[in-house]
Amino acid sequence: MQESPPKALAVLLTVALVCSVLVSVSAVVLRPIQEANERIERYRHIVALTGLTEPGQALDDSQVEAAIEQLDVRVIDLDSGAFEDLDPETLDPRRAASDPDRSIAIPPEADVARIGRRSRHEVVYLVYGDPAAEAGQSGRFTRLILPIHGQGMWSTLHGLVALDADLNTIAAVTFYEQEETAGLGDQIESPAWQARWVGRRLFGSNGDFRFRIAGGVVDDESPAATHQVDGLSGATITGNAVTALMSFWFGPYGYGPLLERLAAGEQ
Amino acid sequence: MSIRETLIDPLVNRNPVTLQVLGICSALAITNSLDTALIMGISLTAVLVFSNTAISMIRAFIPNSLRIIIQVTIIASGVIVVDQVLKAYAPGMARTLSVFVGLIVTNCIVLGRAEAFAVKNTVLMSLLDGIGNGLGYTAVLVVVASIRELFGAGTLLGYEILPLVSNGGWYVPNQLMLLPPSAFFIIGFLIWAIRAWKPAQVEEKEFKEVRVRPAVSEPVLAARFSQ
Repeated sequence: MQESPPKALAVLLTVALVCSVLVSVSAVVLRPIQEANERIERYRHIVALTGLTEPGQALDDSQVEAAIEQLDVRVIDLDSGAFEDLDPETLDPRRAASDPDRSIAIPPEADVARIGRRSRHEVVYLVYGDPAAEAGQSGRFTRLILPIHGQGMWSTLHGLVALDADLNTIAAVTFYEQEETAGLGDQIESPAWQARWVGRRLFGSNGDFRFRIAGGVVDDESPAATHQVDGLSGATITGNAVTALMSFWFGPYGYGPLLERLAAGEQ
Repeated sequence: MSIRETLIDPLVNRNPVTLQVLGICSALAITNSLDTALIMGISLTAVLVFSNTAISMIRAFIPNSLRIIIQVTIIASGVIVVDQVLKAYAPGMARTLSVFVGLIVTNCIVLGRAEAFAVKNTVLMSLLDGIGNGLGYTAVLVVVASIRELFGAGTLLGYEILPLVSNGGWYVPNQLMLLPPSAFFIIGFLIWAIRAWKPAQVEEKEFKEVRVRPAVSEPVLAARFSQ
């Protein structure tokens, strides 16, 4: 055992150097595989909302890739609602939201989802029931998949909403990233609860945003039921947060301009 | 100690979980299904083998005053590598285990073996000690996880063993088995069973019982009260 400070320091530095090389090499070498995994995982959530696969069906990686190939993946400019000619693979809206050049600050009174800033661009997915139909050509899309996110009780909730071609009816929803209260708020990930969203409508007959998570169980017979989903008991704040983020993303600072353009027949 | 003892002893005779009661935190958290327990056991064994071997190799150079820092640096590096490998090759499992792979750094078994064994023994023996203790930990996890998954979800490694009522079978799953406290009970019973089988493992009492003799003998006392 060597106790003199210079020698001790030398041993410490050597160990630290060797260890840091080991850690860096493993991180760099494995990074591409991890990124591929993350991409497949993201695709998996999107494919589940397309309606092209059986619900609950377990897909292997190549099936997910094949299904995503059938989609028309587009970048949109959220402010104007127009499609932009950008590569969706290189766009990372989450990273862009913290870059002042590529994001906008949301006015506090409009920021009901409490996200502060949002990317100027977003990636949306157009689903064509007939895979042969080319993008922009014959046939309108059958589903439109839109990413959404907002501040929940403890964490940022990330999800995807699929709308039917009428741009009003919810075809499917998923929340795939959240850290809400275990056993209560985290039930927003439960497939049974997400299934309750199917067929609900976002907007009332005069175009006003009506959708919300109710404070309790929604009576399917009541007239409000078309716009409401059962609340999760014990998760009022998470439920309200979901309502808020939905109203944000389907409002003027979210997909409002895109939906207006699509409704007017532009693609 | 012989090679055989170093490798086999930690399985039952000197098991890190049941005898030394170390590594309980992760044993409670990730034993609700067998596949997570197996992956966790393999991960910890890999870290333990790596750290024991590396620390034993440089044991002559480790300054005594800095040895914990150096040991933890080596252990933490091993844990990061294992975590990265899991994220690359078993992403679903890495998500399920979440923080618990990272927490191997603070697992007392790893630092315990480094301090108690690797700093004083040859590389080969330290390597075997790492394998042995890793397997001892894995064995306990597998036993606990098998019981919890079988009675909590009716499955083993995801395959249905006991058909659930919800799937048209007869078994009503015991929800308690899926909650962490059940692991506490099962480990408790396991320790009891092993110590009943091998009484040498029973710890000595921390306090000696002292019998206080009453000042008045019992028949006299009885006679007084009967009056």
